[in-house]
Amino acid sequence: MFSRRHFVLGAIALSAQLAAAGAQADQLADIKKKGEIVFGVLGTDEPNSFIEPKTRQLVGYEIDLATAVAKKIGVKPVFKQMAVAARIPELQQGHVDILAATLTHNKEREAQVDFALTHFVTGSKVMVRSASGITAIAQLAGKKVVTVRGGTQETNIRKAVPNAEVVTFENTQQAFQALRQGKGIAYVNDESSLLADYGKLGPAAKGFTILPTSIGNESIAMGLRKGEKNLKAVVDETLRELEASGQAEQLFNKWYGPGTRANIAKRAFKISTDKI
Amino acid sequence: MQFFDPTILQSGQYHDWLVQGLVLSLQLTAISFVFALPFGALVALMRTSTAAPLRAAGAAIVEGIRNVPLLAHLLFWYFAFPELLPEAAREFLYAHNPEAVCAVIALTLYSGVHMAEDIRSGIRAVPATQLEAARSLGLGRIQAVRLVLLPQALRASVPPLLSQTVNLWKDTSVATVIGAAEMMYQAARVETASFRSVEAFTFATLAYLSVSLLISLAAHLYQRRYPVRPA
Repeated sequence: MFSRRHFVLGAIALSAQLAAAGAQADQLADIKKKGEIVFGVLGTDEPNSFIEPKTRQLVGYEIDLATAVAKKIGVKPVFKQMAVAARIPELQQGHVDILAATLTHNKEREAQVDFALTHFVTGSKVMVRSASGITAIAQLAGKKVVTVRGGTQETNIRKAVPNAEVVTFENTQQAFQALRQGKGIAYVNDESSLLADYGKLGPAAKGFTILPTSIGNESIAMGLRKGEKNLKAVVDETLRELEASGQAEQLFNKWYGPGTRANIAKRAFKISTDKI
Repeated sequence: MQFFDPTILQSGQYHDWLVQGLVLSLQLTAISFVFALPFGALVALMRTSTAAPLRAAGAAIVEGIRNVPLLAHLLFWYFAFPELLPEAAREFLYAHNPEAVCAVIALTLYSGVHMAEDIRSGIRAVPATQLEAARSLGLGRIQAVRLVLLPQALRASVPPLLSQTVNLWKDTSVATVIGAAEMMYQAARVETASFRSVEAFTFATLAYLSVSLLISLAAHLYQRRYPVRPA
């Protein structure tokens, strides 16, 4: 017998089929026709994409890369802010064309989305309250660790310290706030974002320490819907050209290099591959 | 990849997480209800009191709380309120699951003022002549309120109070924003770990629906068994 539950599940399955059928046309051609390309960005993750307080404009490393892609295609870039956990569903449902949202390229996700060339390499790191006396990752066992929901940070810390008590928040800034208020003793984030967060502490920085060990090495890349070969080719070509002309290096230094909040002395990677 | 894999909901780690979330959601509902009902009754009595300052205070509580969205309440009670506490109290709170405690505070206040309005309506539904008749039979003022007014008022308030409980149950989902590991939180966690969003959110949806329907059924049965008697 068909129950009401079967009916609901059937309706969900049907709409997923319809959505999949609609996505079969060539996305690059659609973008050119529309005259705009929609990027899913976080907008809360300095320096990848964030709102510049003075100008109220969305700026950042990934915003610059995305703008370069739009310029290459010859269309207007449109940015749509989204939550970390919403990124992949928003892409799959066609609400955005490309994710430029500090998206970590990992094996599990390859079944869901295609990735462009890796444009940033980082590791998750852990910031602790100095007063906690914690100096190594293993000491976090049984302790409360805060991080963002829906990213790879949560997976990484659970893998590194299986019995840590992990509490997650909607965005990294809320998690960082929770650490500062003492609700957890450790905070996990991508290394680059963590350094930027540390930079924001100002004089309070001496109360916090960044543990030296990296948990998980991560390749950050733009995410595309599966099978959109033409669109992926343009994105990859744009990134290759930026690397060849030295502009990619300049952009890295502008957002991450010496003198910035992240203050990374030297770029340790090149934009060259979409393999991990 | 299979579109819908029911096995992950039936056993294993993801199943355990979702069940833990369901349990915490039920606990948040039960604990908040236990605090919200007396708080609501107290505020309702203030609002129907004969003393003007009490009435004004009751109105201020109700309007101040219900005109702010629940999301703002949760963020306030979690991120701002503890910072106003003395250091010892704050550290005590932070050592004892602040996510759940702050969620209970926010849900209690939010749900409580809505319950207060339901109880107040119940009190107003009892005709004034009931009180006059009770007084003329020789009952004192307090006795008349306790023996004649309140029993009738509470019976009239039960159906809206149960519907308010359905709201409270659904509202626990908002506690996810302050990291309370209730059902929506665990569903998102399953999604992060497995990308099985359809299964995780189907579980959450069916759980919310089932519990809501059970509470509604209770309201319906109560109303059938104890209909509001015309005075």
